Amino acid sequence: MAKKERRVPEAEELNITSMMDMMTIILVFLLKSFSATEVTVTPSSNLKLPMSEADKQPSVALNVVVAKDAIIVDNKRVLNLESYDDQNYPGQKMYRIPESERPGGGFDVPSLGAAFQDVVSQFDKITGLAQKAGRDDIGFDGKILFQIDKDIPFTVVRDVMYNAGQAKFSEFEFVVIKTGE
Amino acid sequence: MSKREMPEPEPLNLVPIMNLVTILIPVLLMAIKSLELAVIDTSLPAISRSTAAPQEEIPDKPPLQLKMAVTNQGIRILGANEYLYPGQVKTDNADEEKGKPDVPCKSNARCKGIDDYNWSDLSQKLAQIKKAAQDDDRDSDSVVLISDNNIKYEILVKTMDTSRRSADGNKLFPSVSIAGGTNQ
Repeated sequence: MAKKERRVPEAEELNITSMMDMMTIILVFLLKSFSATEVTVTPSSNLKLPMSEADKQPSVALNVVVAKDAIIVDNKRVLNLESYDDQNYPGQKMYRIPESERPGGGFDVPSLGAAFQDVVSQFDKITGLAQKAGRDDIGFDGKILFQIDKDIPFTVVRDVMYNAGQAKFSEFEFVVIKTGE
Repeated sequence: MSKREMPEPEPLNLVPIMNLVTILIPVLLMAIKSLELAVIDTSLPAISRSTAAPQEEIPDKPPLQLKMAVTNQGIRILGANEYLYPGQVKTDNADEEKGKPDVPCKSNARCKGIDDYNWSDLSQKLAQIKKAAQDDDRDSDSVVLISDNNIKYEILVKTMDTSRRSADGNKLFPSVSIAGGTNQ
């Protein structure tokens, strides 16, 4: 009797050719769409950036996010926005800085002003240290990157810009989503 | 006695499934909208550091001081009436506020949204002004954007876009300053 080779049930090798194909395709796609900007945008339902044909690259600067519910300076929430209904714009939600944040009236918003001043004083500390180390090229450039939701009314934008301007920021860059043209 | 052969369990054949996934993944990747970010540069008119070279001679013709006022009934173009309406006498005074804006909304009343503004008309009028200013040696790259209080930010961005470049790619007024706004 021919000795049948005992078939040891070998584990069938998993054929991973297709998986490698898939990985290769994903890798090629990700390399193609890799963009080396340091600007991070946290997508959320409260922050929808407007579309624009602008094509200038964002540079590293102080991030100020004006979302539908809050204003965030340098990753710290500074104040909350309130939504209200305006009869002139039926069916649309409008957003504004609460009156409680404006004790003196006018464009001044102390909490915003204080947040910007904090950033400026940190900058000043760093500049001071840099100059002690002999680096005269490091200085305050006054640049801000605004990430503003597309439905925010102009009053809020203007007030944030005003308070930033009071803290000596003057170079404003508005982050937008590039439309492919 | 025949050995009862235990039917060997067939190892699960994953190849067709992998093939399916391999096809699906590129299809899904093509459907992804990749977000590319860009920025719009702007500056506060009062506080920005002046980069203009000191003028040694006063030009005969002062450069164009173009302003665009964005309202919820359309867009007014100020400072270029002689180019928009050649031959007519039209001054930018308070009475103007009551008249029809230079670029009214498509629905001819209160603008209902970003698509209701007549962007092509605005682009055309700006191109007209730019050409006339260049012919007149009063060309300027800057425009001041004035906005009503409740105009949405995306409308301002679209206005800045429209004033930056014309439909056929010519430079119009890329340097935008944002003014404080009206009290409405």
